[in-house]
Amino acid sequence: MTFAILGLVLRAAVVVTGAALLTFVLLWNAPGDPAMAIAQARYNFVVPTEVLEQVRAESGLDAGFWAAFKDWIGPLLVGDFGRSSVTGREVWPDLVTAIGYTVPLALMGLAIGLAIALPLAALAARNPGSVLDRVCVALASVGVAIPQYWLGLLLILLFAVHLGWLPAMGARSTANLVLPALTLGLGVAASLTRIIRSGILEARNQSFLPAIRRRGVSPSSIERDHVAPHAAIPVVTVLGLELAFLLEGVVVVEVIFGRPGLGGFLVTAIGARDFPKVQAVVLLTALLFVIINLLIDIFYQVLDPRIGEHDA
Amino acid sequence: MTLSVSDLRVERAGRIILHPTSLDIEPGARIGLVGSSGSGKSTLGHALIDDLQRQGRVVAQVPQSPDEALDPLRTMAFHWREAEKALGLNHDKQRRQQLFSALRIEHGDLRKRPWGWSRGMQQRFVIAMALIGSPELIVLDEPTSALDPVVAADTMDLLDKFLSGRRTAMILITHDLGLAARRVSQLMVMDAGNIVENALTTDLLERPKTQAARALAAHRSWLELPC
Repeated sequence: MTFAILGLVLRAAVVVTGAALLTFVLLWNAPGDPAMAIAQARYNFVVPTEVLEQVRAESGLDAGFWAAFKDWIGPLLVGDFGRSSVTGREVWPDLVTAIGYTVPLALMGLAIGLAIALPLAALAARNPGSVLDRVCVALASVGVAIPQYWLGLLLILLFAVHLGWLPAMGARSTANLVLPALTLGLGVAASLTRIIRSGILEARNQSFLPAIRRRGVSPSSIERDHVAPHAAIPVVTVLGLELAFLLEGVVVVEVIFGRPGLGGFLVTAIGARDFPKVQAVVLLTALLFVIINLLIDIFYQVLDPRIGEHDA
Repeated sequence: MTLSVSDLRVERAGRIILHPTSLDIEPGARIGLVGSSGSGKSTLGHALIDDLQRQGRVVAQVPQSPDEALDPLRTMAFHWREAEKALGLNHDKQRRQQLFSALRIEHGDLRKRPWGWSRGMQQRFVIAMALIGSPELIVLDEPTSALDPVVAADTMDLLDKFLSGRRTAMILITHDLGLAARRVSQLMVMDAGNIVENALTTDLLERPKTQAARALAAHRSWLELPC
């Protein structure tokens, strides 16, 4: 058990450090002068050479790659995310604010996705091959194919412009959350519907079900006790991937709906080569992925105790 | 009370895989259903169970392998309770103890899932579960082919012992005439979806009338297993 936990922590450390190093390399080697990008973001005009050199020295860019990397990761080990190269403000409080906008959006997107996908998949799987099933699958396919920036604009057009029910932009109230969450949720619902449906159909095909039925167990009990648990296994896998998809989609959706959050935070930071900010987001995302994967692994073992019976 | 089915017939993809078949099964009967693979033994077994259950009779089935009877995600206790509930019975620890000791699985841990038990024990658990409601008929479909010969023989001995003196009839589906010969008093030979021969075991083994029965009897002569 101790070894298992130690292994997991080690694995997490490797993933997070790897992601941090890789982003640092990419950002460092991206075309253009990083000092110039920082200076322009800071002063908003083309700066003379002396100022540029000053910025370079301040940001630690003149000391070389490894020195800069060490300067960033050293304080991080004691929980200091550093200061923004552009504004000089501490990164952590700004990051927390951004997360405060993004996480509710992503979670609500996932909740909407599940709320649509579960009944739709159950409906489709009730009578595979029927018209109803085909309609559900077709709807799901269309949902997967629609890009979020287009869907978002359509939703704004319908609910904000024509009907005037909901606000289009900003993040002032919960009402502002509805349209972006719906945009994310519809995309999630589309792919989840297909997975849940095929999970149910596959689970219904298991070799032991006829014997259980002949034992006199009612169809509804079979669905609940024998089909649903087996169908849940592939769905949990996809839910993890779906969360990744959500974090990716959040960037686009936040920009469309003019919401502050991790998306805007990251996009401006990359434009300005604001190393500490970009690195903070990457680190956090990597950490989140490690945690999600860990949770999924644990959940697997709850669902199917055969997994991890012999290793771990 | 005699169990009767008439004109059982199964068609799949436009092909008849079980020609109209009628059967009467007396209480306590020991019937072997033999035939080569694809002759329609299991199809008849399933059709028989489904038809009798529709008539409201209590019929239990033991499939070939425990994998076909137990959900790997559910504990043994869950399976047992589920089988009791399906029969409308209350949980009865004494009945469970009785059946478990009859099949010598009283030391099995019910909190475990099927794969936590050996296959031989799993199969005995399935047989015990089939006996919960004191069925009028138990249909065993190749019940020992997933087990090694010694465990298979033990399992059949325990079942024989349990059934002796009870009114539960037994149909043993197998392609192994030798296994059937030791366990049943009446043999039915199937071929291409028909029962082609139906006779007492000794008669059929000594004087097989049809080609199918002769082929099975001949096949048996060079294969000697303890079950």
